[in-house]
Amino acid sequence: MPKHIFRLLSLIVGFLVVTIIAISFLIPDSFYRFGHYRANSVIEIAAQEPVLQTANYCKDCHTERHAQWSASNHKSVTCEVCHGAALGHPQNGKLPIPKDAAKLCTLCHEAMPGRPRTQPQIQVAQHSGGQQCTVCHNPHSPKIAATLVKVAGNAAAGKQKAADCAACHGVAGISPNDTWPNLAGQNAAYLVRILAAYKSGDQKDVAMTPLAQALGDADIQNLATYYAGLNCKGAAGEKPAGDAAAGKVLAKNCAACHGETGIGSNPAWPKLAAQKPGYLVNVLKAFKAGLRKDPMMAGVSRGLSDTDIANLAAYYAAQSCQSTK
Amino acid sequence: MKKDDSKPALTARRAFLTKLAGAATCAGAAVGAAALAAIPAVSAKTAAPPDGGSFPTKDYDWTKHQWGFGVDATKCIGCLRCVEACKTENKVPRNAHQFRTWVERYVYLEGEKAVRIDSQQDPVNIEASGSQKEFRFANRYKDAKVDKAFFVPKLCNQCTHPACVQVCPVGATYRTKDGVVLIDHDYCIGCRYCVQACPYGARYFDEEKGVSDKCTWCYHRITKGLEPACVEACPVGARIFGDQNDKQSPISLFIRNNRVQVLRPESGNAPNVFYVGIDKEVN
Repeated sequence: MPKHIFRLLSLIVGFLVVTIIAISFLIPDSFYRFGHYRANSVIEIAAQEPVLQTANYCKDCHTERHAQWSASNHKSVTCEVCHGAALGHPQNGKLPIPKDAAKLCTLCHEAMPGRPRTQPQIQVAQHSGGQQCTVCHNPHSPKIAATLVKVAGNAAAGKQKAADCAACHGVAGISPNDTWPNLAGQNAAYLVRILAAYKSGDQKDVAMTPLAQALGDADIQNLATYYAGLNCKGAAGEKPAGDAAAGKVLAKNCAACHGETGIGSNPAWPKLAAQKPGYLVNVLKAFKAGLRKDPMMAGVSRGLSDTDIANLAAYYAAQSCQSTK
Repeated sequence: MKKDDSKPALTARRAFLTKLAGAATCAGAAVGAAALAAIPAVSAKTAAPPDGGSFPTKDYDWTKHQWGFGVDATKCIGCLRCVEACKTENKVPRNAHQFRTWVERYVYLEGEKAVRIDSQQDPVNIEASGSQKEFRFANRYKDAKVDKAFFVPKLCNQCTHPACVQVCPVGATYRTKDGVVLIDHDYCIGCRYCVQACPYGARYFDEEKGVSDKCTWCYHRITKGLEPACVEACPVGARIFGDQNDKQSPISLFIRNNRVQVLRPESGNAPNVFYVGIDKEVN
């Protein structure tokens, strides 16, 4: 073989050997195992640690909260949606409790075009007067538990029984005294609930407890039906001490349940419009002091001063008790 | 080299070229054979499965699953908790421009022919959220006369014939046997061909790492028996995930019980995200 050809061939062979060696070094391990990619990268990606841990992770320590949450309407909102990823918790410290609940809750519950009708939505400006949602709602069980009692009483029978109540609450359900509530036109469901609470001892009052204990369940139904059917228009009382205009501003916080003018949408909650101001003041103070027990009212009354209470009472007392609807 | 004067120069040159051609052919054949021999030799290095047949982890065999994703746009409330969960889970850069999943809002106003579309990265929505690191839809159509409006969650479609995989020049992106398109971040050279190729805009480029990135259906979660982070976070069940091999899985039931559609079927990518409740404007 001529020398120059030998050189040429050895050059080619040399190039080949170098290429093959280079390929075997440069192509990563596992590259053609399943195809034109590195099979080990699948293993690497699959081995990454999950950051969100799911609600089951929280269950063992936060048992009570978990039970409450998992029985509520919010069970589809997992813990980490509000509290952040649980990876590293509890070793690395606590998870945050959302400070601005109004901002967080409205992500889902602000009324907005495009949201399905089935989603519970609020008009933010009218709902709570800028209060934090957590004042009234428990985020772990947000639905307000105003159990709507069925009322099916006999008004005529109620009227007979009501003779016993007339001394304080007036013959026609309009109280002659500033500190006793008007009953005429009040929501029947509310009256049933509150009388049952006096009867069972859930709520206590020197005068009401023994009277309510003497009532049968049918009596309570009849009384509630009777009073609910009465005309709520009573004689105007003396001018209350509070400032009704200031009360109107505060009353926005109450509007979600009690309505803008003290007539709420849900009959399980009492009407406040045209109620006796002295009674309203006493009740609010009782809620604030914890003498009357209601988780909702305890929360909202906590932040009210005595002046606020007087103003609110003045505002509601001045409203018309006739529903405008 | 000494010149042979006994033959005419032309003849000599022709003979030399003939021989050279022959030699080159032989050498070429040798190269081909050697190369063919070399490639199986390389792959043979790792041919034996190190984990007793189950891949990619010892508890998870990717040949036994065929993942699928459903989006029920009639349920979506646009709360963007999926976006938040995804950013956290996958350490997606905390800004308003890079997303593995996102939500679009389609609004038809009375008297307008064109649909108005925005997503969480719209400046108005960034302002409503208060920062580029948080996400919320501004209530910008509160006082408008809205004919019709809905939200549509979007994510990688994990196509059966993915254009992004086809264009990758280095084999850094691929489709797994269980139906997820993944990116090998160690092997990606950052050329962004795939970002351009995706007809759905599902990929983004991570400047910090110098690689492309996109939704993996949380491959590290689904291979451990968990749901993708966005599915886990969705409070209204607008995102449905499951194994299409299992006829009773949420995704199989979703596909069977609904009239589903995919986005841009004409592109030939054969997506695996199935939509319910979207208009023709959504693509």
